[in-house]
Amino acid sequence: MGTFPLELFGKKLRNPVMNASGTLGYGKEIERLWKISTLGAFVTKGLSVFPHKGNPQPRILDLGFGMLNSIGLQNFGIKRFLEEYTEFFIRRKTPVILNIFGFTEDEYVECGRLIGENPAVLALEANLSCPNVKQGGIIFGKDPKIVGRIVRGLKSVTKIPVLVKLSSEVTDIVEIAYAAYEAGADGLTLINTLPGMWKERDTLVRGGISGPFLKFLALKAIYDCKRSLPIPIVGAGGIMNVKDAILFLEAGCSAIQVGTATFLDPLAIPKIVKGLKAYFKRGQKW
Amino acid sequence: MKDMEVTVIENREVIKDHFLLKAKVKGRIPAFRPGQFVMVKIQGPQVFLRRPFTAYECEKDTISILYKVKGVGTRVLSKMKRGEKTFILGPCGRGFSITERELYVVIAGGIGVAGVNLLIKSLKKNVWIFFGTSSSSNLSLLGNLTNYDLFISTLDGTYGKKGDVISLFREKIDDLKNKDVEIFACGPKEMYKSLKDALLKYRLPCQVLYEERMACGMGLCFGCVVETLDPKDPIKRVCYEGPVFSLWELSL
Ligand SMILES: Cc1cc2nc3c(=O)[nH]c(=O)nc-3n(C[C@H](O)[C@H](O)[C@H](O)COP(=O)(O)OP(=O)(O)OC[C@H]3O[C@@H](n4cnc5c(N)ncnc54)[C@H](O)[C@@H]3O)c2cc1C
Ligand SMILES: Cc1cc2nc3c(=O)[nH]c(=O)nc-3n(C[C@H](O)[C@H](O)[C@H](O)COP(=O)(O)O)c2cc1C
Ligand code: FES
Repeated sequence: MGTFPLELFGKKLRNPVMNASGTLGYGKEIERLWKISTLGAFVTKGLSVFPHKGNPQPRILDLGFGMLNSIGLQNFGIKRFLEEYTEFFIRRKTPVILNIFGFTEDEYVECGRLIGENPAVLALEANLSCPNVKQGGIIFGKDPKIVGRIVRGLKSVTKIPVLVKLSSEVTDIVEIAYAAYEAGADGLTLINTLPGMWKERDTLVRGGISGPFLKFLALKAIYDCKRSLPIPIVGAGGIMNVKDAILFLEAGCSAIQVGTATFLDPLAIPKIVKGLKAYFKRGQKW
Repeated sequence: MKDMEVTVIENREVIKDHFLLKAKVKGRIPAFRPGQFVMVKIQGPQVFLRRPFTAYECEKDTISILYKVKGVGTRVLSKMKRGEKTFILGPCGRGFSITERELYVVIAGGIGVAGVNLLIKSLKKNVWIFFGTSSSSNLSLLGNLTNYDLFISTLDGTYGKKGDVISLFREKIDDLKNKDVEIFACGPKEMYKSLKDALLKYRLPCQVLYEERMACGMGLCFGCVVETLDPKDPIKRVCYEGPVFSLWELSL
């Protein structure tokens, strides 16, 4: 179970709380409310080799119990992030997890190559929930062979630890996670959004569903993988408050990521950090 | 920027489906520039995300928004009673930038008048207001802006000129060509398209308050983006780089 401070991949982190990819911009924006150094580690929004423009509007739907987003992985490219932001995170003494994606297997590996040695970067988080354009849009993370190849590719080009982020929309998440582990993955991030769709102004919009309900799916995926694999798991999906965070840590997560909660309560992360600190101080009593 | 706990002190229907909500903040509210907005937490079973509204009025410890009931969120908001508590995050975004000019022209379409109220109050003199609405029954949305030079159009012709507000504005456009003027506008996207057409002739400086659906309201999620003509970063976040943009910068 995570502790204060936490050790992950041989590095000490202030605490086990991270943001989930894509829910805290590039990292500077939130500083109008709280310091990024509140986090154990910062997770970037998805970055790719080439800048990517993302999807047209509409990009957001309020489902009442959660949200559906169709941001489409808009980002200005991994190189620009490293150039413009490394310094900022070093000054804040906040390690960075680079969430990366590609539309081909080579693009994933190229992301790993582009990072080189970077003192700010704690790990890569390979988002395997993107469609493989070469293979007609199947999701990379659904095929254990592809997952294995991407992880092996990344491990051959970089010494930085690799987290594999999976969606639970697969027949057997343990099979996929095992393929990642066998190929050398250093940890897992569980889970990503679930794919969904809506229709607006005669356009069909595909996106990812997130929110509190994901918690139950995430916990199951985490429990199943924890039982079968000896690598650390970072938990994500529907964590809204400190109670949820404790539940994830109890389920065996080494660290947790808070996503959508920040949109409802922009102070959710500092509140969770504070709550966890108190919880550990009391000897893990809720 | 702060996330403020507020208590509703008034939530009154101004005209059908349009409400003015006044909320009291614990302590002082941070200074708002005209055109900046708040993200309001709406407590209701079918509402998950916060909703954005321009600051309509700000005093020491109270803030008001003027809003139209559009869907589920604003409907639930309209049911909030005096004494109920919620949270508002603000000030969000960049507001209008105001430089010294000989004349200011403000164009508001419908509920767009909510977006320019603070602006008009801070301009004080030499302001022409163009207000377009569907019918004379909506005129009380102007509140006490009636002390300014007003040009009004209604779609049904029950007051002022019959038609839309940009057609009305077109009639005055030649009077502006030799003046040191700045135009401000707030209304729907279609209004900005015809405003751009109307202004192509003289390319007068014009700032518009652009709306897009938001989740975070503070630049975190990239949900609210709009395409601009900026060659380096064409895609801008309405909540962070906006919501006020130059009309000439948007690719409408
Ligand atoms: C910066 C900014 C300032 C705003 N200021 C005001 C204001 O002062 N007064 C006011 O009445 N409204 C304002 N709006 C619009 C307001 O946010 C929406 O009307 C509101 O979010 C609709 O919520 P809903 O739950 O009722 O509608 P939903 O049930 O979410 O949707 C109903 C309809 O409203 C449309 N809609 C949803 N969100 C927006 C949006 N953000 N902008 C425009 N249309 C939307 C949808 O396309 C849909 O057709 C502002 C929007 C922005 C982005
Ligand atoms: C607006 C938004 C953008 C996201 N962008 C990414 C992304 O770029 N890469 C990624 O791996 N996951 C992305 N996610 C998924 C989240 O990181 C997280 O896995 C998911 O939202 C579940 O957690 P939550 O319920 O706490 O939000 C995004 C989620 C949201 C809501
Ligand atoms: S609403 Fe999230 S970036 Fe604008």
